[in-house]
Amino acid sequence: MDSKTALLKKYKRRQRLVTVLPFVALAVLFAVLCLTVQAKGYRLPMYLKILLNEGVVLAIVATGATFIYTLGSFDISLGASTLFSATVGVMVYNATGNFGLMLLAIFGVAIGCSLLSSVLASVFHIPVFVTTVAMMSVLSAVAAQIITANGGALGGISIPAEVVRPFDVMWFKILVLTVFFAVCMFLFDYTKLGRRQKFLGGNPVCAKLTGIDLNKYAILAFIMAGIGVGIGAFLTLVYTPSVTTGTAGSIGMNILVAIVFGGMPISGGPRSKIYAAVVGGFSYIILNNILKILIDSNAGYGISQIVSAVFFLAVVYVTGMNYRSQLLPR
Amino acid sequence: MKAPILQMKNIHKRFSSTIALDGVDLDAFPGEICGLIGENGSGKSTISSIAAGMQKADEGEMFFRGEPWSPVSMIDALEKGIGMIVQESGTISGISVAENLFLAEVKKFRKGPVVDREEMNRQADLALDAIGASDIRGNMPMSALDFQARKLVEIAKVVMKDPDVLVVDETSTALSHEGRNILYDVMRRFREEDKAVLFISHDLDEIMDVCDTLTVLRDGNLIRTFSKEEFNPDAIRMSMIGRELKGDYYRSDFIPSSLDEIALKGEDLSIPGELDGVDLTLRKGEIVGIGGLSHCGMHTLGKVLFGAIRPESGRVVTGDGSEIRDEGSSMKHNIGYVAKDRDTESLNLTASIRDNIAIAGLDRYAVSGFLLTAGNEKKYVDKQIADLSIKCSDRDQAVQQLSGGNKQKVVFGKWIGRGSDILILDCPTRGVDIGVKRDMYRLMSDMKKQGKAILIISEELPELIGMSDRLIIMKDGRITKEFTRSESLSDADVINYMI
Amino acid sequence: MKKYLAMILAMVMVLALAACGSAAPAASEQAPAGDSGKTVKIGVLVADVSGEEALGFANYYRNYIQSNYNVEFSYTEQLADAAAEKAAIEKFAAQGYDAIISFSASDRATQLQTCIDNGLYYAVASGMLDDAQYEQFKTSEYFVGQIGPSMDTEYEAGYAMGKYFADQGAKKIAMYGAFIPNPMHVFRAAGVLAGIGATYGGASEKDAIVGQIFADQGIDLKKVESKDVELAGYFQGFGDTTFDELFACIGAQPDAFLSVGMATTFFTQNLNDAGIAFSDIDSFTSANGEAMADGKLVYLAGKYSSSIGPVFAAVLNAVNGTPVRDDEGNAISLSQDYLVATDADSFQKYAAADQGDSPIFSKEVLDTIIGDVSYADFSAAVAADRG
Repeated sequence: MDSKTALLKKYKRRQRLVTVLPFVALAVLFAVLCLTVQAKGYRLPMYLKILLNEGVVLAIVATGATFIYTLGSFDISLGASTLFSATVGVMVYNATGNFGLMLLAIFGVAIGCSLLSSVLASVFHIPVFVTTVAMMSVLSAVAAQIITANGGALGGISIPAEVVRPFDVMWFKILVLTVFFAVCMFLFDYTKLGRRQKFLGGNPVCAKLTGIDLNKYAILAFIMAGIGVGIGAFLTLVYTPSVTTGTAGSIGMNILVAIVFGGMPISGGPRSKIYAAVVGGFSYIILNNILKILIDSNAGYGISQIVSAVFFLAVVYVTGMNYRSQLLPR
Repeated sequence: MKAPILQMKNIHKRFSSTIALDGVDLDAFPGEICGLIGENGSGKSTISSIAAGMQKADEGEMFFRGEPWSPVSMIDALEKGIGMIVQESGTISGISVAENLFLAEVKKFRKGPVVDREEMNRQADLALDAIGASDIRGNMPMSALDFQARKLVEIAKVVMKDPDVLVVDETSTALSHEGRNILYDVMRRFREEDKAVLFISHDLDEIMDVCDTLTVLRDGNLIRTFSKEEFNPDAIRMSMIGRELKGDYYRSDFIPSSLDEIALKGEDLSIPGELDGVDLTLRKGEIVGIGGLSHCGMHTLGKVLFGAIRPESGRVVTGDGSEIRDEGSSMKHNIGYVAKDRDTESLNLTASIRDNIAIAGLDRYAVSGFLLTAGNEKKYVDKQIADLSIKCSDRDQAVQQLSGGNKQKVVFGKWIGRGSDILILDCPTRGVDIGVKRDMYRLMSDMKKQGKAILIISEELPELIGMSDRLIIMKDGRITKEFTRSESLSDADVINYMI
Repeated sequence: MKKYLAMILAMVMVLALAACGSAAPAASEQAPAGDSGKTVKIGVLVADVSGEEALGFANYYRNYIQSNYNVEFSYTEQLADAAAEKAAIEKFAAQGYDAIISFSASDRATQLQTCIDNGLYYAVASGMLDDAQYEQFKTSEYFVGQIGPSMDTEYEAGYAMGKYFADQGAKKIAMYGAFIPNPMHVFRAAGVLAGIGATYGGASEKDAIVGQIFADQGIDLKKVESKDVELAGYFQGFGDTTFDELFACIGAQPDAFLSVGMATTFFTQNLNDAGIAFSDIDSFTSANGEAMADGKLVYLAGKYSSSIGPVFAAVLNAVNGTPVRDDEGNAISLSQDYLVATDADSFQKYAAADQGDSPIFSKEVLDTIIGDVSYADFSAAVAADRG
């Protein structure tokens, strides 16, 4: 019996370790970054500002997307819908000169695209993932058409920088991130919405037999993701008041990486964590920056990508460790 | 006495926090069917799976026909003489029966670059004929077969390799009457051929009927081996659970009773090929049993009554006349449903006990209907863990780490916790040991006393007869007979209406 | 427990970030880097890291300039969008860089604004801002200037190429639009149409043709009308059907195949085999030299790698406190034309001048425009040395 309780303790300790690990990784990476920046004689405060700017859009869009990932589903169109929302926002501002209408357009389009993906999927009984693939192609093509047709020689479209410049300050971005994260955390951990989504992600058949309607929760998840995309698109414009066909291009893949770095299983389910996107997103951004500082870009392109890929695999292995050993035969 | 074919000595095995085997010795003798029995988690599946190469022992020695035995895999073990029919389904549904049977050996049928499918199908048919499952053919797609037929394919797959030791792990619970007979015939043939069989089952009656000796395991220890002449249900039960079972196993009364009020009513329910105009009334304070062969439509009926399947025609209404259209409306009217396939339909295995119990009761303990607080939730869940005495390390333990009986208790807790007034139980005691079974029967009796309505769908006649106020028998999607509770009602009376 | 940890971490981040708010103004107080021995650090923004032209440019800065002057160049990775450009500039600022030279064109106005905000000198190389943007920023002290082909130059390069073949008597041509709607390619293609005397959708003016090509995202053959030279085939982009489209064009047996970019990379072999004379706007690489000497490449307009030398000189002057401004005190704005080779000899001359230790803008040439030089001298030097 003693050995049994000891083993149980060991198991629980490991479980706790896996939970805490993403936070520890973030703290360690943050410390390493500060040290590296100091050692190189760079300006740390500026670096922190850059990190926030690079991470905030990713963290917000990925936090919204966590609701989709929790269902065990996947939305590949988030980058394209960020681009498309920002594009429409710019067009609306340039046509009306009205900031409020621009915001309305950005959020309307972002949530609308998301809803369309999920409603199409539920009407035609196809996996949501499939509709998001279609959405991705359509949205990026339409956005590209708008941008190139209107951007002309500039290759991009933009709104006057003064419109969004007041928002390009740290406290505003931190506030937006904090509020959005708090709302998501509340919905995810303290209301039926999040609990039922986690359950759906774990076993949709059982969830159905517990009265949980997959379509309804898929649509709700996509609305949350849409709100995240809307905020992301707005903050993208705040950072650079222009949109090109390449805008937000890397978001789609980075969401996946962020969520995994944050210690959430990619298959969603009961072990999903709302903080994964924020913790993982910033870890990933910090890691990339450390690598870029340490590895001289002149040494060759792609080395830092390889290192971060190795890191990614290591994280997946460690976070999956406990999961695998739980599958006991009887 | 003959020398054992298989000898296992001082076998130890642990899974992270759980000690599954604590120094067990087990022998299998030629011409003998040895039963292995014990509660969930007693170690009976573990010891047999070690013998069959599915996993390795941490300590201990094994000898097969006198030689040291250490198979590297189940396939290796089967090639060398020990075959096992596993509890969980080991077939692949996207391919044909023949391909399943010859999964690793397709190249045997290779003629140049192509596989000779006709020959492969012919060989498969022979293997199926050999166990008496002639209605399954090699060219059938696996996905066209039901649960039972798949099990028979697995049996054929092992038997065609002609092993010296056959391990059968709780396979019979998946089988109907005729399926079981096929399995028993196979086992008897092994005995006649002077080979050994290790047979694991929960069903005491079955195991006493089929086996020559019976070994009882408890908490990873071998408790006792009974010879045929020592077989005595009470003694065996006692050694299984380590204490005497007090009180009655089933309901002690034999008087049918119910309140007048109707709880749930199915009217003219039809689904082509599955249900054919079923009318059924369940009253408050009543336990209604539904029995039949596994394809009689009773499992579908359970889902229809819960709203999980919409009938082609007919409707399901509650006592107050509201129609049940889906699972959501069912839950709104306090109906709960325990599915037959526990691991895939009733539980979220990777989730914790807490998640599984709480999920059905979120609306019950949420503050102002939406805010979920950890305090309320823990109270809600802990009450179920305590009331049902679920054996676990704590509420956050993953359900997949629990034994079958405790898993089923979690499912019960999920529905009882939210105060379900009507429970539809599909095979609620399947794969559950007798200790837990008894707890569940008691629970049903208690709920009946509280005026709750219970519908039990089961393939086990004794429990239906033992528990039901009314017993409804189904065949081919229709109700063929209804019995009222009585002391004189026996299996034999009922079985005629099933087949 | 994990929640507390999350909160603590969030607090740390917030505090650290808040601290940066107060510390930021101190960032730009470093002494300007002079020629007193301190290395001048220049960050280079690039959107292309692998093209022939980009490699030629990088080679010139990293190998030639860096070994002749006390400067250090740091190149970015491939910048995908405006946000990446802005972040790259901010990182250079954080690392104490003095100036930015930009080859990346997602959002030059934001790049410039970011440099101004961070006190970095900024220059556009091998391209130009549009007129409105130039007007907006030309008086900023941090805007050093822009030296390179303007969109007008791109149009002119296309026009010259089209006119060359028309003058040579070509009656039927095919055309490759490269990566339209990339603005550079749109302007060149519009130039080609005008050069062969064609109208597009009835328009013959530059702006009207350009506008329609942007709107169509390509060239619609039905809208092309021409008296003398027939446009028999057109395609653009690079994908699954590209070679089918190429062979269709070849099948039309044109007198010449005109490309506004990349054809020498993609199609040289096929066009040589088909025996069709072709032209491109590219750079003076050895492969192009062979195609001109032994193959069917008959016309090549190209930038030479050291054409970015004057931009460097202007940036260095600004960092060293002797900025070159025009007569009204505005940032430099000088257009550079393409060099055109139509035979192996002229090609070899340009190629030779562009390689190795004696580039067109060699140290000797650059030294005449580094230091205290007048705007007139500077622009004359840029306009002069043309191989």
